[in-house]
Order: sequence, then C-alpha cells, then structure tokens
Amino acid sequence: METEVNQLLESIKFMILGMGVVYVFLLILIQAIELQKKIILKYFPDKDADENITIHQDKTLQSIEKEESAKIAAIVAAVAEFRKEK
Amino acid sequence: MRVRHIVLSLLFSIMAFGSFAQANEPIPTSEVVIAEEHREYKSKSISELVSSFWATTGINAIINTNDGEMTAEPDGKGRVMSAFESSIGRIIMIGIVFLLFYLAVVKGFEPLLLLPIAFGGLLANIPLAHMGGEHGMLGIIYNMGIANEFFPLLIFMGIGAMTDFAPLLANPKTALLGGAAQFGIFGSLIGAVLIGFDLQQAAAISIIGGADGPTSIFIANRLAPEMLGAIAVAAYSYMALVPVIQPPIMKALTTPQERQIKMRSLRKVHKNEKLVFPITLLMLSILILPESTPLIGAFAFGNFAKESGVVDRLSDTMQNSLINVITIFLGLGVGSKLAAEKFLVPETLGIMIIGLIAFSAGTAAGVLMAKLMNKFSKDPINPLIGAAGVSAVPMSARVVSKVGSEARPGNILLMHAMGPNVAGVIGSAVAAGVLLSIFN
Repeated sequence: METEVNQLLESIKFMILGMGVVYVFLLILIQAIELQKKIILKYFPDKDADENITIHQDKTLQSIEKEESAKIAAIVAAVAEFRKEK
Repeated sequence: MRVRHIVLSLLFSIMAFGSFAQANEPIPTSEVVIAEEHREYKSKSISELVSSFWATTGINAIINTNDGEMTAEPDGKGRVMSAFESSIGRIIMIGIVFLLFYLAVVKGFEPLLLLPIAFGGLLANIPLAHMGGEHGMLGIIYNMGIANEFFPLLIFMGIGAMTDFAPLLANPKTALLGGAAQFGIFGSLIGAVLIGFDLQQAAAISIIGGADGPTSIFIANRLAPEMLGAIAVAAYSYMALVPVIQPPIMKALTTPQERQIKMRSLRKVHKNEKLVFPITLLMLSILILPESTPLIGAFAFGNFAKESGVVDRLSDTMQNSLINVITIFLGLGVGSKLAAEKFLVPETLGIMIIGLIAFSAGTAAGVLMAKLMNKFSKDPINPLIGAAGVSAVPMSARVVSKVGSEARPGNILLMHAMGPNVAGVIGSAVAAGVLLSIFN
C-alpha cells in the first residue's frame, strides 16, 4: 500500500513537471514566433512578386486541376444564365 | 548424379573440417546446421507420410494444443505456447483482425494504418509459420525499424514534410491549446499507476493520450518494450477512431452558441517565417529538451526541406514514397504484436481502457482551455478548435471542422484547427522528452 501511495505521489510530480515543461516550451515558442515575425517583416519585408511565385510552386497538380474545373464550371454557369436571359 | 556427388563430398569435407576444428576450438554452429540439413531421407509408408503431413497442417496445430509449439519472437528467444494461446487465442485474434478489416474497409477509419496493422496481425497468428520470429517476414521488419525506433523517426520526417505551419505562425496563441491537450498524457499517467502499472509502464501507456502513433512507439520501446504491441495498437486504433471518440466530448463541453462562433480569418504568413520556423523550433528543443530532439529533429528536417523550396524532389519523396513505404513496414511490424500470445494478456485490457481515457481527457482539456482563452481573448475563439490539440494530424482538425460546420453551415474552422493540431505534435514530442528525461 505504501509503495502504491509513493508511486501515486511520484506520478503527480511527473504531471506537474511535464505540464510545466510543455507550457514553458510552448510559451517560449510563441514568443520566438512573434520575435521572428517582427525581425522578418522589418528586415525582409514582404515582396508580393516573391509570394506569388511561391504560392504557384506550392500548388499541386490536383489543386490546379480543381481551379481549372472551377473556372470551367463558372463559364458553363454564365453561359447557361446568358441563354436563359435570351 | 554429379550434383549428389558434389554435395556428399562437400558434406564430408565439412565434417572432416569439423572434427579437425574440434581439437582446437568449438565447432561453429553454422556448420552443424549445414550437416543437419543434409540428413538422409528414409523411406516412409503412405500412412506415415499422411500422418506427418497432418502434423504440419494448421488444423492440427489449432486442435492439438500440446504440441510444444514455440512463440515467435523477433529476438529468437521464444517460449513454449500455452494451450489457450495456440488454439482459442488465435481464433479470437483472427476475429479481432476481421473486425479491424471491417473498420478499415467498410467504415473507412484510417485504412492506411489499420489495414496493414490488421493484416500483420493476421499473418502473426498463422500457426507454425513463425512469421513474427527472427527469420520471419514480420520479425525481420520488426528488427529492422521498430525495435530500434527507426521507423517512427522516418514517419516524423514525412509528417514534417507534410505539415504547413502557416496557421500556427499566423495565430501562435493557439499553441497553448496543443499544450492543454497533453494533460491527457499526464492525467492518465496517474490513472495507470492507480490501477497497478509501475511508473515506467504507466508513462508508456499514458503517451497514447497524445494521440500520436510514432511517439507512442518511440516511448513504449524505451520504457516498456513488453507492452509495445498493445500500446501501438491502442494508439493507432484511437487515432483511427478520432471521428467517433471526439465529437461527443466536444459537444458535451460546449454550448451551441459557442460552437457557432466565427473566427477571424488568419493573416498572410511571410515565406521566410515558414522557412525559419523549423530551425527556431529545433534550436529551442536543443536548448530545453535534447531528449526529444530525435523526434523534433526529424520533424524539423522534413519541414525545412519542404519550406526551403530548393529540394522539392527530396521533400516530395519524404511526404509520399518514403512515408508510404515506412507506413507499410510500420503497420506490419506493429501488427506482428497482435499475435495471441502477446496481445491476449490481462494488461492489454488495462492499456486499451487507460488509452481511451487518456485520449478523451486530452480532447476535453483542449476544449476547456479553448473556452478559457475565449473568455480572455480579444478575438473570438471557437472552443471546438481545442479538440484539435491532440496531435492526430490532420484527422482531429478535420473532425473539428466538421462539427463546426454542423453547428453553423459555412463556418470553416479547418485552418484555425490546424494551429493547435501541429502544436499538439510538438507538445506531445516535448511531453515524450520529459518522460524520457525522468527515467534516464
């Protein structure tokens, strides 16, 4: 029984340490993210041209296809609407 | 005739060499094995042939329980199977495997994980084949990457290469939700100790609460290798069951008004922020918690390769072919622990129960933390995104989005939920590092 109580106490200590470390880590991480944002936005300001290129590269074939089919769907809908009006 | 002559002369020369060597040193075992393999065949009657064939059938292996069959262990140190393990146990396990097949194929619960695990389980329960043994396919896979924790790290690399940190970088506060969900790990550690597991075992089981398969395998291997099978199966099955387990908890802890909260759209994240982030993350973990750097290091490498934009081929391999290959191996290797003699032990039930509690507690803690943050934050926070703090990426974020759009059609929470979700991956790797550091 005594060892069980001891183990229970130990596990509670683990919890305090563990949650403490996780939170400290994440809080520091949040600060680091804010800091890196400030530094990057100040010294490496946003270049729209750059951004567009990267976005384009990130696109997988699928998403491009999806976009294409969305465009086609929009055109078809517009044509249908136009004919109806006629 | 010539072939036989060569074999015989080879045999004699080996034997001669053996007897010669015996005078000087003990005979190397491999030569004994060769000599045994060439035993002369004796003529057998047809009834002897039939009965010896009968002895090698699966039906006989299941009916005849006292045949002294050994368990298949990847390290080659098997023991004699009990009557239950070699008969009814196997039948029960094959039934469980069929249930897993059903969940994977018909219900579509994470088939990528569940199907290889279940099939590995089926192969591991084949009598006499010893597939989980040192020289069996599953045993080889197990020794190749699970016993030495290699596969979980490769999986982490792939997850890193697939992860987009933009939602977290745009709204870093949501990282706190990923921290709250780790309460599932430490809360259930206490629970596991209460029902009688020792501290190391309890720590290994409770990591299931992080809902992170690779981390669970990594920790279980270090702290309680004898329970690896049940822990991995529990972790992966609960990850697969995210769409079933999480919504009721999320709905119980939130009001309909809270579920309808609309969140402000995220700011655009600069390309360089994403590029620098994996390095920042790794630096922090090097300083605070080197124990978790194998996991976070692999993760950061994958992510850096993706965000750098100059090694698209490598990052493409990591997030597609490599992670697919490793998933096959990992699934089969974990499945090998579904063998009756390893899985049908009393501890498994405890592990499954504690794992479920851990997982639910993590979800609940995340939701409650999100409610708290909503009270104090300037921008509204939908408490549902707290449930994504468990690190089942991206399943739990998808579930959050689904529950959110049920409450209010058109309210897309997916990107908001991805923030806590990826923070959850980091959080559970940190929690794992803490547990490792305690027992070192």
